[in-house]
Amino acid sequence: MNAENVKSQMRKGILEYCILLLLKKEPAYTSDIIQKLQEAKLIVVEGTLYPLLTRLKNSELLAYQWIESTQGPPRKYYRLTEKGELFLGELESSWQELNDTINHITNN
Amino acid sequence: MKKTLTVNLGGTVFHIDEDAYQLLDKYLSNLRIHFRKEEGSDEIMNDFEIRISELLHERIKLGYEVISLEQVEEVIKRMGKPEEIFGDSFQEEEKEEYQEKTETVYTKRRLFRNPDDRILGGVAGGLAAYLGWDPTAIRLGLILLMIFWGVIIPVYFVLWLIIPMAHTATEKLQMRGEKVTVENIGKTVTDGFERVSNNVNDYISSGKPRSTLQKLGDAFVSIFGVLVKVVGILFAVVLLPPVLLILFVLLVVLFAVVVGLLGGGIGLLGGGMGILEELSPWGGGWGLVPHFSEGALIGSTIGTILVIGIPVVSLLYLIGGQLFKWKPMPSQGKWILLVIWVIALAATIVIATHYGLPAWNIMNGWHWGMMPI
Repeated sequence: MNAENVKSQMRKGILEYCILLLLKKEPAYTSDIIQKLQEAKLIVVEGTLYPLLTRLKNSELLAYQWIESTQGPPRKYYRLTEKGELFLGELESSWQELNDTINHITNN
Repeated sequence: MKKTLTVNLGGTVFHIDEDAYQLLDKYLSNLRIHFRKEEGSDEIMNDFEIRISELLHERIKLGYEVISLEQVEEVIKRMGKPEEIFGDSFQEEEKEEYQEKTETVYTKRRLFRNPDDRILGGVAGGLAAYLGWDPTAIRLGLILLMIFWGVIIPVYFVLWLIIPMAHTATEKLQMRGEKVTVENIGKTVTDGFERVSNNVNDYISSGKPRSTLQKLGDAFVSIFGVLVKVVGILFAVVLLPPVLLILFVLLVVLFAVVVGLLGGGIGLLGGGMGILEELSPWGGGWGLVPHFSEGALIGSTIGTILVIGIPVVSLLYLIGGQLFKWKPMPSQGKWILLVIWVIALAATIVIATHYGLPAWNIMNGWHWGMMPI
């Protein structure tokens, strides 16, 4: 049992939640999502994200469209679906619960 | 000076150094193997390629014309190695898979023809891999046996026909009795100058150069292949008329039966019967028809046509498939045909013993009675 391992497990646990949160604010290109997550130190390597986005898309929580780019090939532009918003709602309340649990434990 | 290659990555063309290409290719193959079970693995790989293409494109804009090894290394560092992407959960998964495999597949060695070690059909190479012996020893042994005991020659060709070629990395590992794990598949793929395509089980072509002896063997194989095709065509030409006749008669029967069932078509039915009587083993001018009930006659005729027709048509289809690369029959189709064939055979036998034998006896008696002695 080492701290790094637990920390990475925690980060991994909230990764989907964070992606949905990001996309709730505004639709974004894959590269934008990567950049924001890296700034937040949630992911280290980009490769982690592609399977995750595909999984979320296959569960119909996200959808994308191809946007033409002036430089290079067209890019995927992701947005949250209605189903994704409902899902995010559930995650938000669950996050609140977790938060309360931690607060409760620390304060008592 | 370095050799460069031109590659299409995510829809953009790049000039890339040979060593850089090899690294990138290996990296992508590795990822593909790791993602092979994931739903939408093609899409994920496509995402990877597009992103790598974007990153490399940025370098090009800075004025680098050719992608070098360092740049590919940088990109891989940014995208992450498979173990970084999958982390611990991936290793656990692999471990589970490994344990599963050791229980079921590990000891299971399968006989394949070896495409990487073959002179004619790869039979000796495959046997060598299967038995763990030296292929040259097996070849010498086979040749000696062929000289002293000619029966071995057709046996060799039968083996060639029956034993499947090991096409995929998985099959090659099974041929050698090695564990089918991601590491081993990766090893096979990098060992043999081979590429993994979308799926590990796809066809993998071997790019190894062939020796003179093997080239001689290849020439023999292609000549033999042409001969087999010629014989196949002759066979098909000989078989075609009877099959067409059977199909034609079947159509007439169907037509006659439908018309007959609709009523008022008795004359046509009779006409159909006339043709059928010629073909049915209990017809053919032996005068058996009067002894059959109408239903039995129709049943026996359809039964006979099916009993003969299904194997002949299947055989023709098989030959046609070999010659003209038709799609193989779907397996449900094969099963349905087999079931129909068995039912038709059973029905024909029942009708034959119930009606045919008594009728035959009556008729023979009648004939004997008419004999002028």
